[in-house]
Amino acid sequence: MADGQEEGVKTMREETIIQKILEKAPYAEGKVRRERRIEFKIPAERIRDFLMLLKEKDFESMMQITVVDWPNDGEYELVYQMWSYTHAVHAFVKTRIPRDLDKARMPTVRDIYPVAETYERDAHDFFGVYFEGNDKMEMPWILDDTEQGLFPYRKDFDWIGYVKKKYKILDRFDEDKDNYVI
Amino acid sequence: MENELIREARENGMELLPIDKDTYELFFGPQHMATENFSLILKMDGHRVVKAIANPGFLHRGFEKLAEFRPWHTNIAMLLRICVPEPDVPENIYSMAVDELMGWEVPERAQWIRTTVLEMARVSSYLFWTMGLSFKLGVYTAGQWAAAYRERLMALFEQLTGGRVYHIYTIPGGVRRDIPGDKWLRQLKDTVEYIKSKLKDFDHLVFENYVTYRRLEGIGVMDKKFALAEGVTGPNLRATGVAADVRKLDPYLLYPELDFEVPVLKEGDALARALVRRFELEQDLYILEQLLEMGPPSGDYKVNDPRLKALPRLKVPAGDAYAHVEATVGDFGAYVVSDGKNKPYRVQIRGPSIAHGIRVLEQLVEGARIADVPVILMSLGNCPPDIDR
Repeated sequence: MADGQEEGVKTMREETIIQKILEKAPYAEGKVRRERRIEFKIPAERIRDFLMLLKEKDFESMMQITVVDWPNDGEYELVYQMWSYTHAVHAFVKTRIPRDLDKARMPTVRDIYPVAETYERDAHDFFGVYFEGNDKMEMPWILDDTEQGLFPYRKDFDWIGYVKKKYKILDRFDEDKDNYVI
Repeated sequence: MENELIREARENGMELLPIDKDTYELFFGPQHMATENFSLILKMDGHRVVKAIANPGFLHRGFEKLAEFRPWHTNIAMLLRICVPEPDVPENIYSMAVDELMGWEVPERAQWIRTTVLEMARVSSYLFWTMGLSFKLGVYTAGQWAAAYRERLMALFEQLTGGRVYHIYTIPGGVRRDIPGDKWLRQLKDTVEYIKSKLKDFDHLVFENYVTYRRLEGIGVMDKKFALAEGVTGPNLRATGVAADVRKLDPYLLYPELDFEVPVLKEGDALARALVRRFELEQDLYILEQLLEMGPPSGDYKVNDPRLKALPRLKVPAGDAYAHVEATVGDFGAYVVSDGKNKPYRVQIRGPSIAHGIRVLEQLVEGARIADVPVILMSLGNCPPDIDR
């Protein structure tokens, strides 16, 4: 953070911020969405370089990582949302990765923004995106009886089948368990 | 022989700590009174915590997935359950994000009502927090006072919205119904004055108490750099010396017209966090006074749009939007994606506790005494359901 932060919020026009960032990152596309909201589109393999650059440019805090599932495109959209206290600007960093569980892999950014560890665990729990380098990936938060490879926030997740599996204890007493309907 | 519970926990994928002869494992919560639905697995050496693992997976209800199956306006009734002490915040951020997608400019009267509701929620949430802290410190009298004063605001909320705890009041485009009348405004004014006059009692009993200072000072210390890197927001960040407040940095509703200060302390310990909240409570009452003096502007309480008449069929244009407000726990945000249908495509609520409730808590608790764990937990103002949405 800039030292002058206490004196008051430094105001910088959103275009100037984008321009300064794009000078160092020619692979990115940037646009102003509205006042205090800017957006970048970058290729997935440059995510670490780009977030390091954003940290240099006074984006001190990561607000969240959102995964949006687009099954028709066969892709996940990852939205890294950054917030700058210095400029008072919220930046969306969007990138797309394949949706297949073997290929849905990203490098971790938790050494750049430590808080990312939690959001990456979240994304792995619900969507199956694997963040290489984050060793907390295998500690699930969601229901204990979730089976491997079953990620509940995917659009093709079978809700009814899942509910049936969840109540294993009912199966124990239900002889006709194959026909059991919730 | 291995304990059956521990074996079961290991089978369920929980990482448990190896037990050697000097240390032992302690399951702290989720039913423990001091943890508020939160669960910690502590490795203890005598009464010192050696290592902690936060385990918030107790409350998971899948709000974000459920939101994808429900029409836009019905999600409000579900999302507000994310944070019980301050349910108006999720209502507002979700509605603000939908407003942005719809391109709606909310009428002035609705903005005034929304601002007032948010501030009432802040006061009520701080009183709730004071109650929690007092109980954890053993000052039960002050806790019961705080609960009683909060009850007055609850009664006003009930008159305004029909609900005591969960209000379901803010909808995309405005608010659900108009304020009941001048009597309600007078009652709100009386309540604000009443609570303000009672702050001295809290000071005498809790915030200026020697016992409080001994219990809170120098406990759970974090510095500015650490707090920023870990994404800590709200009063916890302000207690480390960063004057950051969404109401000033990214103004929404009527906040640009209001005059208030952002209290900042430098110590970054549990006491600083408690005092920042105490000062903010005073500021919030001051804001409410200003709002009442300003009076509700005349006009509509929701936008005049024919699409609002058939809410279940409301279609939101494709796109995405993010809105955030300053809640008492920190920076609360909602990211909403629409594909042009009458249900959201994806909703993600950014709870502030996910930042300071897991990694930060684990690090602050390390080395603390077992008696300080509830105090650290309370001073961070954790809201467990907003971690485990």
